[in-house]
Amino acid sequence: MPMPLDLDDPRSDDVLLALYGQGDGSAARILTLRLTPVALRVGQRMLGDAAEAEDLAQEAMLRLWRAAPGWQPGGAKVSTWLYRVVMNLATDRLRRRRTVPLDEGPEPEDARPGAVAGLIEAERAAALEAALMALPDRQREAVVLRHLEGLANPEIAEIMGVGVEAVESLVARGKRGLAQRLAGRREELGYDGT
Amino acid sequence: MTGPEMNLDDDPLEQVFAAARRAAPVPSEALLARILADAEDAMPARSASRDPARRAPARGGFLRWLGAPAGWGAVGGLATATVAGLWFGYAGLGDADALARLVGVDAVAGATDLLPGGDTVPFLAGWEG
Repeated sequence: MPMPLDLDDPRSDDVLLALYGQGDGSAARILTLRLTPVALRVGQRMLGDAAEAEDLAQEAMLRLWRAAPGWQPGGAKVSTWLYRVVMNLATDRLRRRRTVPLDEGPEPEDARPGAVAGLIEAERAAALEAALMALPDRQREAVVLRHLEGLANPEIAEIMGVGVEAVESLVARGKRGLAQRLAGRREELGYDGT
Repeated sequence: MTGPEMNLDDDPLEQVFAAARRAAPVPSEALLARILADAEDAMPARSASRDPARRAPARGGFLRWLGAPAGWGAVGGLATATVAGLWFGYAGLGDADALARLVGVDAVAGATDLLPGGDTVPFLAGWEG
């Protein structure tokens, strides 16, 4: 598992990327431990496929390494840049596998037989993942960044290349979509939303 | 499951979001090793002298990379070993457990099984030839 000392390193991603650009292998190690989880979990939530998310995370990190020589310190945050790369890569992959129109999703899986009250936490997470995958891509992006990554709307706007109001709208629509898709499992999920 | 604990947050979906956050995937050791191998390959300062410890010292790529004088062929082996030692200290990766600590296994030998082609080991362990 990752070393706590690496994760606690006080140096910013910016500084570490510059050090990597100068040939510092330890900086690469810290950045890898710090940023790979971000790329992996966002990739997983956008693609709904663990193996594909690993490929995406590796590809995103490779782009980071290649961006190091031309990186402008003090500009965009490295993490913001990485989120944007991950989202773009995810969008490309989703387009390639697309079988349904962008603004329509598959039927929600809320009618799964055998569901019982007292759903364990893993099932809650799985239910959300299924519901997320049924959202249009842009709504899913916004909801993932806002509610699962915990980013502020201005940073999400920068990542998605839209205004803050558009982010608010995408998040709101996405959450309405999730609520609809989870409504049939409201009791078992402990979700009482109206 | 509709007890009061489900109403702690104004956002009715928050319970589900929180469960998803706690269930976030964690990178495997193999993935971390692949990414570090990519970092080694893409490292700008090494682009002119790929994997120097495995080359004939007379080529001097590693020495040039560190700014040392070229043409040390006659003492290339010793010079390479010395400069590799400098790299150990500079990168802070000189001990044999560096890779093991990274990937969370007990021995480097076990970890190297994760690394296709074995090219990452010199990178992580300070280019021990």
